[in-house]
Amino acid sequence: MEQTIVRLRDEATQQLTQISNAADLEEFRIRYLGRKGLFGTIMRELGTVSAEERPRLGQLANSVKAAIEDLFAEKQTALAGDTRTKKGQGSIDISLPGRYPEQGRLHPVTQIMNEVCAIFEALGFSVAEGPDVEQDHYNFEALNIPAHHPARDMHDSFYVSESILLRTHTSPMQARIMEACQPPLRVIAPGKVYRCDSDITHTPMFHQVEGFLVDTKVSFADLKGVLTIFTQKMFAKDLALRFRPSFFPFTEPSAEVDIACVICGGAGCRVCKQTGWLEILGAGMIDPEVFRMVGYDPEVYSGFAFGLGIERIAMLKYGINDIRLYYENDLRFLSQF
Amino acid sequence: MKFTIDWLNEFVNTDGFSPQELADHLTMLGLEVETVSSLYQELAPIRTALIVSAQPHPDADSLSLCQVAVGEENLQIVCGAPNARAGLVTAIALPGTTLPGGVKIKKSKVRGVESFGMLCSEQELGFSGAHSGIMELPAGTPSGQSLVHALGLDTTLVEVDLTPNRSDCASVIGIAREIAGAIRRPLQLSIEKAVIDKGAASFSVDIESSELCPRYCARLLTGITVAPSPWWLRKRLLSIGLRPINNVVDITNLVMMEYGQPLHAFDFTALAGQKIVVRQAHEHELDFTTLDGVVRKLDPDMLLICDGQKPVAIAGVMGGLNSEVSDNSTAILLESACFNPVSIRKTARKLNLSSEASYRFERGVDPGGCVNALERAVQLLSDLAGGTVVIGGGDQYGGQRPLKSLTLRISRASQLLGMALDASQITFVLCAIGFRCKEKDADTLWVGVPSFRVDVEREIDLIEEVARLIGYNTLPTSLPTVQMSYPEQEKSRSIKAEIGRLLVGIGYSEAINYSFTTDKHLRWLGLAEDDPRCHCLRLLNPLSEEQSVMRTMLLPGLLENVERNINFQKNSVKLFEIGKVFIPRGKNEQPEEKNRLAMVISGNRFGEASPYHYQPAIVDFLDAKGAVEYLLQGLRLHGVSACPPLSLVQPEPSLVEPFVVPTQVLGIQAGENQNIGMVATIQPAVLRKFGIKQAVFYCELDLEALCQLDAVVKNFTELPVLPAVHRDIAMLVPEFVSAGSMVAAVLAMQEPLVERCVIFDVYQGDSLQQGCKSVALSVSYRSAQKTLTEKNVEKVHVKIIKELGSQFEGILREG
Repeated sequence: MEQTIVRLRDEATQQLTQISNAADLEEFRIRYLGRKGLFGTIMRELGTVSAEERPRLGQLANSVKAAIEDLFAEKQTALAGDTRTKKGQGSIDISLPGRYPEQGRLHPVTQIMNEVCAIFEALGFSVAEGPDVEQDHYNFEALNIPAHHPARDMHDSFYVSESILLRTHTSPMQARIMEACQPPLRVIAPGKVYRCDSDITHTPMFHQVEGFLVDTKVSFADLKGVLTIFTQKMFAKDLALRFRPSFFPFTEPSAEVDIACVICGGAGCRVCKQTGWLEILGAGMIDPEVFRMVGYDPEVYSGFAFGLGIERIAMLKYGINDIRLYYENDLRFLSQF
Repeated sequence: MKFTIDWLNEFVNTDGFSPQELADHLTMLGLEVETVSSLYQELAPIRTALIVSAQPHPDADSLSLCQVAVGEENLQIVCGAPNARAGLVTAIALPGTTLPGGVKIKKSKVRGVESFGMLCSEQELGFSGAHSGIMELPAGTPSGQSLVHALGLDTTLVEVDLTPNRSDCASVIGIAREIAGAIRRPLQLSIEKAVIDKGAASFSVDIESSELCPRYCARLLTGITVAPSPWWLRKRLLSIGLRPINNVVDITNLVMMEYGQPLHAFDFTALAGQKIVVRQAHEHELDFTTLDGVVRKLDPDMLLICDGQKPVAIAGVMGGLNSEVSDNSTAILLESACFNPVSIRKTARKLNLSSEASYRFERGVDPGGCVNALERAVQLLSDLAGGTVVIGGGDQYGGQRPLKSLTLRISRASQLLGMALDASQITFVLCAIGFRCKEKDADTLWVGVPSFRVDVEREIDLIEEVARLIGYNTLPTSLPTVQMSYPEQEKSRSIKAEIGRLLVGIGYSEAINYSFTTDKHLRWLGLAEDDPRCHCLRLLNPLSEEQSVMRTMLLPGLLENVERNINFQKNSVKLFEIGKVFIPRGKNEQPEEKNRLAMVISGNRFGEASPYHYQPAIVDFLDAKGAVEYLLQGLRLHGVSACPPLSLVQPEPSLVEPFVVPTQVLGIQAGENQNIGMVATIQPAVLRKFGIKQAVFYCELDLEALCQLDAVVKNFTELPVLPAVHRDIAMLVPEFVSAGSMVAAVLAMQEPLVERCVIFDVYQGDSLQQGCKSVALSVSYRSAQKTLTEKNVEKVHVKIIKELGSQFEGILREG
């Protein structure tokens, strides 16, 4: 019995090596591996072997059959993949394109927005969206920008009536949320913003993400920590960044955050205006006046806020050089991202 | 704010620091440097030249023939300037040089005489308008030098982008103070605490409201000779891009740049009654002509400077033509004042007139600094314009406030900045830029705020100063310790994200269009005048008609995108947009903002997919319908048609949109009859208006309504263990019968054995009876109790055929 098994193995192996077409291979399968094939016969005969011998021989027969099946499968694949064999069953030109339907793409602004939100969501921030058409009160007054403040020069606004305008930043959500909720708060507010400005570097509509965190004992050092995590996740792990003083009426101290230029690596180029740094977001500790206006006690609570422009980040990450491309929805543009 | 390094050096010694290092200091102090640039690089090839001799040109009276020394070299130059004379040192452009105006100098022949370059006027070099002769350099200036160097123009210009709070730095002294603090060197001021001797003034100053004009100082000078300024003064102004005019105007400009204090010079003889009155405009005062010759409309809120009779200047914005200093003026009243920032800003806005003066007043000038600046200008006028200073002067300081003294808690500053600070550290950094500190108790400092820091009013402002001066990058970095909480997310966000994922998977790309558009598009769509979507929220100050109203629909933007793509040979377009539409409410009310989803599809069904596998085929209505069905099923909301409450139904004829083909539109309904969207073929006539010549299919969905729908309850059903029996029916029916209604009829019979019924072929052709089509259905039968045989299903199958036959006048096709 044992000899029969071994002989069968040698014979099948030998035959298999000589097979060079699918028809012969099928013949082989029927002869050896088919339901009424030689291995089937052996298996049935095992029933007649003595009880002591049966386990050992059974094991042998099984392993030989498995080995032959493996060789068979190998041969099958080889024959199917061989493009030189004559056209017919099992032959395929593997250089032909794979078969898959057309893919679409999310808008690059959406992709960056999702990335930004995901980083802050992982840090426990919730996401809130506010109205695009906003009251002057939330867009300015509640953010410590009274009428006739020179800071309004930075916000050329589209008005729809005397006191209603298209929001010029996503910061109104700070006031709206603080008015409605009590600390601790960790919120980001993405959305569209609008300014009367249109040229090669400005479009009258663009996207921002506002974020803020309010609790007792929040410090400027915390602001630096959170924004360092953000910029390094967004750009690169060991990215150099710097915080530099700036001015926003609703934060104090205010800061602007620069990252080492992602184009030239800090050596100086056209994009970073030879400074080696790129400004990517504005931030600061929420001004006590803003807290007072929403009824928080600035002696008890402190917090930080930040805002960043999505188009700018997309331009830096993807090397887009003309902001107007974003809103032309040209598929040759969209399909690149 | 622009300044040059040599100007800065007059107030602080920056030896040993490169311009770039100084710029970096400023940037890190919050005074962001925009540019650092070497000046006059375009004049680098211009040399100084000494005219050795000047003879008349043999063939032209107006020209002279000059022998010119440029260093070692001697050149012959033909020159037309009347002031070309032996001994004059002037500027020469040698052959090959390009002048700032673009003229390229070549060796030439002028009336038969060779000329090896050109002697230049100030205008040709871009210094001034002076073109009456060639430039006259001080005698003794060596020849052959670089002109820029000889003139001391080889300096570096620095431009700072000032934040609105730092009006004190709209001055060279302000910048110098910050630099001095940063590099630990003293600030050198020639005038620090000037006072005006008020005795026996020959004019008077009256201020109606010290609220609007906290301080007004003035001095009178006589015997002034108005003339061009000396070179050093013109150079200063030129280097920061200001055009020199005459000594009086140039001095006021120079002092404004140095001190940040705008000054104004009146021709004293034009002032009636030898008095100055600061007041708001009277009702009857309607027009006023400013220095630039423009007639300005006044209104009673505007603050004016008047003499005994009439307005002579719009306070803080611009002087009047009626009191302008002219070349013949000899007596000058010099004003140095401080005005209310809001008042000046309102006036400048109303007049749409912004000046260097109004820029500073709007941000706040230092009332304590008026006299220092005035005295500096008076000194210069007497030195450079021969003026005699009349003893006495005016100084009305009704708005004088005690110097601000604030308390600063060290513990508070430490907590907010996240760094342990101490009194000496804080005192050191604040004192370096002019604050005064005194310990009040162990945790508190009294901080005296210098008058020029009009922006520092609260403890938090001091904390910012401390942070800024210590350096943001020196402050530590930490992470907040916050209570753990679960951030709740709005449902719409996850639905939007899911829609994006699904649609991208079937080849749709995402578009983002402007929220503002033109209402012309709505007319192109054929919407009735009274259609609510035609009532758009209108911008009061749009950039253009194309962006003048807030959109009420997403479709027009997407059609524009289709047109654009086809224009750029992208004929297969699948786009979707998720965005807001704006529905106006009352006047002065925010509109309702609703999230919508819209999709368009046009061109080849398979787009960019390999044409080897996907034979090009033009999309039709069913592609759009399929996309919607796929989307709704993918969202796992109560599915389409098969699972109420979402279904695609034919809308009432009266509800069919004017821009769709009426026979190719389905409404998307939730529940019994809530319309939440539609899928349709766009009217070709509408498409033509948008410049599109190929069919476009469209779908829109109300996202807010989608968010209200329940998700499918995922509930497991036992997998069938017994096999199904499949039977086909091919039936000849009149062509108007819809295949879908036949399936519906089969399912409506509610036969327990019928598991599924699908259409697998619809055929119309010559081989069939005219007016008829063949519809082939495949019906699956299954029982949970027993394995069905052909015999078991035969009874039901016959019943179905009979039902279809009677309902649809159908005839069973054999074979």
